[in-house]
Amino acid sequence: MEPSLSDQLARLLGGNLVSSGDGHEIDGLTPQAVVRPVNRIQVSEVLSWASSEMVSILPRGGGTRIGLGNVPRKADVVLDLGALDRVLDYQPADMTATVESGVTLASLQEQLAPGGEFVPLEAALYERSTVGGILSVGTGGPLAYAFGLPREWLIGIGVLNTQGVATKAGGKVVKNVTGYDLNKLYTGSLGTLGVIVEASFKLLPIDAHSGALLASFPSLADSIAAGRKLIQSPAAPMGYHSVTSVVSRHLQDSVQAASQDLGLGEEETALTFAFFAGRAKATGRRLEEAAALLLAEGAKAVQRIEGPAARGLLRWITDVPIEISPSPDLVIKISVQPKSAARTSAECGEIIFSGEKPEQIVDPGFGSMRLFWPMPIAISASGADTTQPILDAVNQVRQVAHRYGGSAVVEQCPLPVKRQIDIWGDSPDSLSVMRGIKDRFDPSGILNPGRFLGGI
Amino acid sequence: MDFKQFLKGLQAIVGERNVVYHSDDLLVFEYDGSVDRGMPDAVVFPSSAHEVSQIIKLSRRAGVPVVGRGTGTGLSGGAITAPGGIQVAFPRMNHILEVDTENRLALVEPGVINLDLDTHVRKFGLRYAPDPSSQKACSLGGNIAENAGGPHCLAYGTTTNHVLGMEVVLEDGQIVNLGSLARETVGYDLRGVFTGSEGTFGIATKIAVRLLPVPEAVRTFLGIFPDVESACTAVSAVIEQGIVPAALEMIDALTIQAVQKVSDAGYPDDAGAVLLIELEGLQDEVDEIGEEVEAALWDTGATQVRAAEAAEEREQLWVGRKGALGALGSIAPNYFLVDGVVPRTQLAPVLAAVADISVKYDIPIANVFHAGDGNLHPCLLFDERKPGALDKIVEAGTAVLQVCVDAGGTLTGEHGVGLEKKEQMPLVFSTEDMAAMVLVRDAFAPANSLNPGKIFPDGKKHTPHAHTAAPGMTI
Repeated sequence: MEPSLSDQLARLLGGNLVSSGDGHEIDGLTPQAVVRPVNRIQVSEVLSWASSEMVSILPRGGGTRIGLGNVPRKADVVLDLGALDRVLDYQPADMTATVESGVTLASLQEQLAPGGEFVPLEAALYERSTVGGILSVGTGGPLAYAFGLPREWLIGIGVLNTQGVATKAGGKVVKNVTGYDLNKLYTGSLGTLGVIVEASFKLLPIDAHSGALLASFPSLADSIAAGRKLIQSPAAPMGYHSVTSVVSRHLQDSVQAASQDLGLGEEETALTFAFFAGRAKATGRRLEEAAALLLAEGAKAVQRIEGPAARGLLRWITDVPIEISPSPDLVIKISVQPKSAARTSAECGEIIFSGEKPEQIVDPGFGSMRLFWPMPIAISASGADTTQPILDAVNQVRQVAHRYGGSAVVEQCPLPVKRQIDIWGDSPDSLSVMRGIKDRFDPSGILNPGRFLGGI
Repeated sequence: MDFKQFLKGLQAIVGERNVVYHSDDLLVFEYDGSVDRGMPDAVVFPSSAHEVSQIIKLSRRAGVPVVGRGTGTGLSGGAITAPGGIQVAFPRMNHILEVDTENRLALVEPGVINLDLDTHVRKFGLRYAPDPSSQKACSLGGNIAENAGGPHCLAYGTTTNHVLGMEVVLEDGQIVNLGSLARETVGYDLRGVFTGSEGTFGIATKIAVRLLPVPEAVRTFLGIFPDVESACTAVSAVIEQGIVPAALEMIDALTIQAVQKVSDAGYPDDAGAVLLIELEGLQDEVDEIGEEVEAALWDTGATQVRAAEAAEEREQLWVGRKGALGALGSIAPNYFLVDGVVPRTQLAPVLAAVADISVKYDIPIANVFHAGDGNLHPCLLFDERKPGALDKIVEAGTAVLQVCVDAGGTLTGEHGVGLEKKEQMPLVFSTEDMAAMVLVRDAFAPANSLNPGKIFPDGKKHTPHAHTAAPGMTI
C-alpha cells in the first residue's frame, strides 16, 4: 500500500514538522497533512516532492485570508510558511528591508520601528497576517488612497517554483528596471505561480503625528459625497471611510471604550472615519480644515481624535471586514472608478437579500467598498431554493460594479453558493494570457489548483 | 511573401503615405538615444489599434519582427531594430483622449509626449508625476515599455506606479485590455508585468494613467559642496530625519565645470558637488521641513545654500542639472552613459570606486545622478576618433556596473536593459531567474517576434556606436 502523504512528508522532513489536516478544512475539503518547514531548503524539498507525486499544495501564511478563492479542485497538503519569519536585512538609511515571507506584519513593523520606519502594507489581524500572505492576496487596506496596493512597495522577491528551484526578480534597490518586473506578477497571484519565500520592500518614515476625524452623517450617501469633496481638497486625508449603522455601532463601541462620546446612536446614522498623519503643523491644519469641510457638507457632529487613539481606530477599521460579528454569510468586495463610488454604493444599497439591505464600508477616495449582509442565513447543504436568492444578489452587485468600470469579488459566501460561481467574477479578455502564464509556471497544476480567476 | 508584397500589404493597411521604406527616410529610425544602431526595413505609422493589429498579423505571416518605437529617446537600444525587422511608430496616435478630473486619470494614445500630457493636465490642477529628463521629447508608449523614471520618482514612484490600465495588441494581433480604470483588478497584474517589458510582450495602443493634484507649495534648495562625499553626507542627513523629498539630485565637479563652460549656472569654479533638493506639500510642511533641510545642508558642510519657491526661480536652480548631459560636449565629443543603481548608503564608496576606474582606464567620468534613489549616471567621456577608444569605454562601463552589483545594486534603474546590457544580465540574475522571465514572455509572445534580441544574453555582440554629446541631450 502507498504510504500516506503525511508519512511521505514525515520521511522527507521529519515527523515533528508534519501534522494532521484536521481543522484546516477549506471549502469542505480536509487536507491530508499540514507541513511547516523551518527553512527554504525544506520548502524546496516539499515542492519538488509534490511535483513528482502530483500532490496539490496550498501555501499558507497566517491563515487570515485562507478562505479567499474558489473551491479548490484538490487540497492535499497545506504548506505552512509561518516558520520562515526572519527579517534578513534592514538598513534604515537605505529605507529598505528584506524579509522572509512568513514574518507577520506586526512583527515586521515592530522590528522596523527602532529605525523610525514602517512598511506601507495593511492587513486585518496583523499579528497573524504574514508578508507572504499579504502579497499573495495583493489588496490594499484603509489607507490605500495614500499608499496604493502592496505592489507599489515590493522591490524584490524570492520565489520557489513548482520544482522547488529558487528564482528571484527585482532586487534591494528602490529603482530598478533590470529584467521583467515579476514582482508585479507574483503580487496578487494567490500562490498559484510559485511559493514566495522572500521579499524586499521600500519603506517610509513613521509620521510624527497622526489624527483622525469621526463624523456622523444623516446618511451613507451624505458621508460619501462629503468624502469625495474632501479628497479633492488640500486637506485630503490618507484614508476616508463611510460606514453604515451596524458597522458604525461597532465603531462607536470602540470609541466609547476610549471614553469619548460622539452623541451618536440614531438608527439611520452613517459614520465617517478619516485618518491623517504627517508633521504636527500640517496635520493640525488638515484636521481643522477637514472638520470644517465635513460640517459644511452636512455632518451632524465631528469628533477629533489624536495620537494613539487615532491609530487604534485605524487598526479597528482595518480589522472590521474580518472581525465583524455576527459573522456575515455574504461579503462582497467591490472596486470601481473612484468617482462612481457614490452611485455604486447607492445602487448596491438597494439590493435586498433575506429582507435586509447590506451594511457597507465605502472608501470613496480609492473607489472600493465592502458589502455585508450581516444576518445569519440558514442554507441547507443542497437546497437550490435557498442558494438562489444569494446568487441573485451576487449577480445584481456584479452588474452594478461592471456598470461603473469595476469588479466584485465574493470574499465570503455559503459553500453551496461558492460551488456555483467564480468568486472573482467574469473573466477579462486577457484571461488566455493569464492561463498561458499559469500553464508555464505550474504545468501540473499543483499550486492552489482551481482557486484563482477562471479556475486557474 | 516577398518584401514588395509585404510593403504593399502594409500600405493597404495604413495608406501609402504612412509607410516609410527608402533608405534616406529610414536613417532617423536607425538610432535611438543609445550607442546602438540598426536599420529597419520599413517604418509604419498606424492611426488605430485595429491598424496596429493588422500590421502585426501581416508581419507574423511574413515572418518579420516588429519593434514598437516611441520617439527614439531611449538609452539602452530598446527601439533598435533587429535585421529584417520593421518599426511601428506613433506620430499619428498622439491624442490625449480624455482627462477625467474627478477620477484623476487621463486616457492617452501611445504617441503623446510626456511633457505635453503634464502641461495639459496642469490646467485642471493636476499633473503626471513621472518626469524622465527627456520628457520634452519622449512618449507615453515608450515610457511604458521602459518603465521610465525621472527625478521626481523618489517620492512618487516610476511609470509602473502610475499606469492604471492599457489596451495592448499582442503578437497574434489580438487586442486585449490590461488593468482597469478601477484601482483594483482581478487576475494576474498583467499591466504591471507589461510595464517595463521593453516592447517584447506587445504594443500598447491606449493608456490610462493616474494623475496627482498639483501641490500647494514647492520649494527647491540648491546646496554647493566642496566634494561629493560631503554632499552624500547631506543626503543621508536629510533622509535620517524622516524626510522623503520630491527630488534629490546631484552633479559632481567635472559636470559642474562643463555646465559652467556652456552657460553660467552660477556655480563657483571650485565647487565639488551641487545638490538639489525639492520639497512639495502644504505650505506648512514645506516651511517646517524646509528649515530642517536647510540646516542639514549647512551642518554637512555646504558652502552656499540657495532656495526658491516661485516657479521661474526654481527653474533657474534646475538649469545646471537639466543641461548637464548636453554640456558634457564642451569637455569631450562623445560619452557613454551608465545607469547603475546602488543602495543609497553605498553612494559615497561606489563613487570613489568609479573615480578609481576613471584613473585606471584614463577616462574622465562625469557624474550626474538621482542621489535619493541611489541611481548613478556616470558619463564616460571620450573621443571616438581615437583608435580602440570605444572598446575601452565599454570595458570601463562594465567595470562600473560590476562595482554597482557588488555594492548590492543592479544594472539599470530607469534606462532598460535593451541591447546595451543584455550580456551583463548574468551579473544579477541566474539562469533560472531569467528562465522564469522568459516563461512570461512566452505567454504573451510565444514566437518572440516583438522586439526580439533584447534583454536576455544571447552571446551576440552588438556593435556600439559612439554617441555625440550635444546640447539638449538629457538624462
